[in-house]
Amino acid sequence: MPLLEIRNLVVRYGEIEALRGVTCAVEQGQVVTLLGANGAGKSTTLRAISGLAKPTSGDILFDGKSIAGLGPEAIVRMGISHVPEGRRVFPGLTVKENIMLGASNRRAATSEISREADAMFDLFPDIRKFSNALGWTLSGGQLQMVAVARGLMAKPRLLLLDEPSLGLAPVIVQAVFKIISEIRRNTTVLLVEQNARMGLSVADYGYVLETGRIVLGGKPDELWGNEAIRAAYLGGHAKVSA
Amino acid sequence: MDLALQLLFTGIGIGAVYALVALGFVLIFRATNVVNFAQGEFSMVAAYLMVVAVEAGLPYWAAFIVALLGMALLGVVFNLGVYYPLRHRTYLPVIIATIGASILLANSVLAIYGPQPQVLQGWFDTPGIQLGPVYLDSQYLLIIGVTICLVIFNFWFFEKTLLGKKLQATSQDKEMASLLGISVSTMIMITFIYSAVLGGLAGILVAPVLFVSIQMGSTIALKAFAATIIGGFGDVAGAIIGGLALGVIETFGAAYISVPYKDGFAFLVLIAFLIFRPQGIFGERVAEKA
Repeated sequence: MPLLEIRNLVVRYGEIEALRGVTCAVEQGQVVTLLGANGAGKSTTLRAISGLAKPTSGDILFDGKSIAGLGPEAIVRMGISHVPEGRRVFPGLTVKENIMLGASNRRAATSEISREADAMFDLFPDIRKFSNALGWTLSGGQLQMVAVARGLMAKPRLLLLDEPSLGLAPVIVQAVFKIISEIRRNTTVLLVEQNARMGLSVADYGYVLETGRIVLGGKPDELWGNEAIRAAYLGGHAKVSA
Repeated sequence: MDLALQLLFTGIGIGAVYALVALGFVLIFRATNVVNFAQGEFSMVAAYLMVVAVEAGLPYWAAFIVALLGMALLGVVFNLGVYYPLRHRTYLPVIIATIGASILLANSVLAIYGPQPQVLQGWFDTPGIQLGPVYLDSQYLLIIGVTICLVIFNFWFFEKTLLGKKLQATSQDKEMASLLGISVSTMIMITFIYSAVLGGLAGILVAPVLFVSIQMGSTIALKAFAATIIGGFGDVAGAIIGGLALGVIETFGAAYISVPYKDGFAFLVLIAFLIFRPQGIFGERVAEKA
């Protein structure tokens, strides 16, 4: 049984149908990457999983149990942590405080959470010296590190990462993906990326989304071999057949 | 000089009341992005609760606790009845609902208690002490003391506790807070309870200095609102400094320029700030980065 299974998921924002029947699965221990152009529905898929977007129809199964329609607070307590697009680091709180709040989904003493947050800096040494800096003073790459560290504080069984490379300099993108390849040792990851090369480099499996539908799924080398993936990742409209 | 010192003491005393109400404004604004126009009525209701409890024969301290518990309950009811049903709407319906609630509260008290202003005794039997040239009124001393304690408590609560950090996180980005497992509705409930108690405390403390009347809430709220703008809207330190500044300015204005225009000075300062420094003393300290 896959850790996460999405069946025929439809999400509407008013008149707009953002997802038109998405079906995919994430196996325990894997990194799965969702590729697709802007507006294909990648972020909406993650938002539906974490409870920010309400599914119109279809189902989302986590560990075999339906979580479709639950609120975000309930879903993160079940072990799905969502690092959303745009990092969303609290601007008026310090880096350490931001990271500590990542543990809000579970019961633990404040001193314990503080220790865990300090330990998180071993994985993210670049932000250790900004521990007491306010969120809004950080650069994009640093914010991304804080956002991922905060997401990991939930001790998730499934980590949802939305566009971690967006707006970052190539060298920072490398650093972020190095961390993702370290995370994968203990955590299942569903990664959304526009940068297909980076996205697939860490993945066990990939899906290609196009205008609200999964049009292709396969192992990274299979996807690379496919003409259509290049079109999809460049935002082209080439006909894709699964 | 002696007069100036005396005025400074009185000004800080009345300013402390504005500061407490202003703090309530700011906390609710930061948590919900809405100005609660019933914040002044919290002070008025608390003062009446205090009058009722004292008349019922409770000792002063017990009446004080009963009135504050009543305000905590009002905070809960206010959140569930006024804010919660409209929480997914824009700010406009919520603001109108708070105005409606303020009218409801004022007229409910009017219906129950009638229009005659009530008198509430001060906490202390001794009216005050003479310290050199300055006469320290005991009620003003109490107001200043309580305000200092609350400012310290407020700082400790928001800066040193994890719950305080969760409240801050909720006020900065509700959606992200919920993604982390922070119960946003609980955080907003706590904010309303805390703000209602703060407003109530201000009302109870100032009641022996003023009369307890239906209008006392709107007068205090207008000054407190001006204080938040002077201090820098949405800023906690700004609300406190703004409140104290306003109390001092209007007291000096009344003494040296004109007593009838006492209330006018506060608004003159407000208008000056709106023209020359609309971001207030502290301005926007947290810049949102894209």
